[in-house]
Amino acid sequence: MNRYGPFNWILLLLSSMVLLFLVAPLLGLFIHTGVSEFFETANDKEVQESIWLTVWVSFLATFFFAIAAVPFAWLLARKSFPLKSVVQGIIDLPVVLPHTAAGIALLGFISRDGLLGKAASTVGLNLVNNPAGIALAMAFVSLPFLINSARDGFAAVPERLEKAALNLGASRSRVFFTISLPLAWRSIITGFVMMFARGMSEFGAVVIIAYHPMIAPVLIYDRFSSFGLSYARPAAVLFIVVALVVFTILRLLSERRKPIVTKSENADS
Amino acid sequence: MLTLKKISKKLGDFHINDIDLEISEGTYYVLLGRSGSGKTQLLELIAGLNRPDSGEIWLDSEDITKKRIQDRSIGLVFQDYAIFPNMTVFGNIAYSISSGRVDRTIVKERVRKVATDLNISHLLGRSTHHLSGGELQRVALARTLITSPRLLLLDEPMASIDASLKDDIKRLLRRLNSQGLTIIHVTHDYREAVSLATMVGVIHNGRIIQEGKPDDVFRKPVNKFVARYSGIRNFFRVEFKNENGEWKAVCNDKLIFNLSENSYPREGLLILRSDDIQISHKMPSFTTGNCFKGIVREILPSEYGMEIAVDAGETFYVDISANTFKQHPLSELSEVWISFSPEAGIALPGNN
Repeated sequence: MNRYGPFNWILLLLSSMVLLFLVAPLLGLFIHTGVSEFFETANDKEVQESIWLTVWVSFLATFFFAIAAVPFAWLLARKSFPLKSVVQGIIDLPVVLPHTAAGIALLGFISRDGLLGKAASTVGLNLVNNPAGIALAMAFVSLPFLINSARDGFAAVPERLEKAALNLGASRSRVFFTISLPLAWRSIITGFVMMFARGMSEFGAVVIIAYHPMIAPVLIYDRFSSFGLSYARPAAVLFIVVALVVFTILRLLSERRKPIVTKSENADS
Repeated sequence: MLTLKKISKKLGDFHINDIDLEISEGTYYVLLGRSGSGKTQLLELIAGLNRPDSGEIWLDSEDITKKRIQDRSIGLVFQDYAIFPNMTVFGNIAYSISSGRVDRTIVKERVRKVATDLNISHLLGRSTHHLSGGELQRVALARTLITSPRLLLLDEPMASIDASLKDDIKRLLRRLNSQGLTIIHVTHDYREAVSLATMVGVIHNGRIIQEGKPDDVFRKPVNKFVARYSGIRNFFRVEFKNENGEWKAVCNDKLIFNLSENSYPREGLLILRSDDIQISHKMPSFTTGNCFKGIVREILPSEYGMEIAVDAGETFYVDISANTFKQHPLSELSEVWISFSPEAGIALPGNN
């Protein structure tokens, strides 16, 4: 007798189709890339530099913006203020903007005529075609991932724990660093990984700000448009492998933390 | 001394209304109320977790109404303990003194002392995740007591612990109070007030409706709500009549109760505590004024022993100890006599 009804079979079929759609192109990419081509590309200095640039610029962009974004997320989770929903909308804006449009908007801000560009040029820094500009472009499109995840993490921390700490005489900043931050850490790390990942994979906004130095997505596009698919494919595979390794490590680190439990799990005894 | 002057606070649809309260040093004040009566909200206002919309809070001649939570020196033990799950038991207890200003050796010494006092020194190195309710409560108490609070607030401290541990906790709280610590304890259970309080307040719909020494509140409740809250189950709607200088209460023209006071209202409720009524198989040879024959309708185990429902024209609930029940067993539908002294009847005027 069939253990599953027709509805379950339809669910299984639809789910398999979605999974196949996600996996098939990646699988095709790996299958069509020869081992020798892969190692040749892995030894290509230009590719190595490009991937390294992508990783460290995205990491630093995430790290430095997190310093401001995490306290901002706490504010969003805990406080009510006028136009809070508008502020929340602004945070989500980069997610819905076409990324090339975001790049153009950002270019106006960081070019020599722009507000930030002018300020940077006073210390001799040209943000366009510079890793600092790339970091800004990556951060612009990926910040919502960190802010929203950290905000949800802070919201899940029972406010009573913060109040209990205040009741024990702790200052607001001590409560933030000893209670709120450690308990929301998992969501913050998840947001950090998401922002980092999104920054690394960004193409549209970065290509407007800096074609050179080339980050990996720009390099892959450059090789594809100049030399064709077979030349771009090994670089794409290598970048995917590096990205997967980095994200797996970060995920494993973040999952080592336990969820918040404030009451006894045992029956009273 | 803690003084609340006309404290009001609106919380959604709920109001705390014009609460005046004076609690002198060394008092064990039990605030009794149902869930949603405003008792926890009142504690949070005193602790500074919320600010009142109007009114003042004074502690030892200092207006603390606008003082920040962390500067009040008022310890609050939350109902669910609010133990920090990211710290060990030691970390939780040491939290208030481990910000770097106190020497590490002193921190350790103070934590050990309070942990020994509360009998949890064996838990210090443990994570808080697998502690029992009783252990969590002691950790929460230790964490608060180490701050040497001027006032200790307890939000339903017995709500989440096993009955067998309640006596230990009560002993501990009594000891703390006898050492001079002023305690405000909110609960929905009048038995906690009976066993712990030196003063009791009953809060209902955001107002304190009766206050006083436990004996006064429980022996002379101001209305049916407080009476019910004090565990009273015998309520009789009566007319009070003075016959030849002696007051009697007539219930449904069926039962006549002899009373002892000098004046009564025209009508109202006569209430009787279940443990003030005696029950026997035979008519008592010496009755103290009120004696009725009835039939046992129900026998239920209660925390005192047995609760017997007797139909004597009206239903009377009588508490007897398990030992008495063992010596003089009763069965349902058996004939019994119930009696009580005229002093046992408490009159509540009007229709409350």
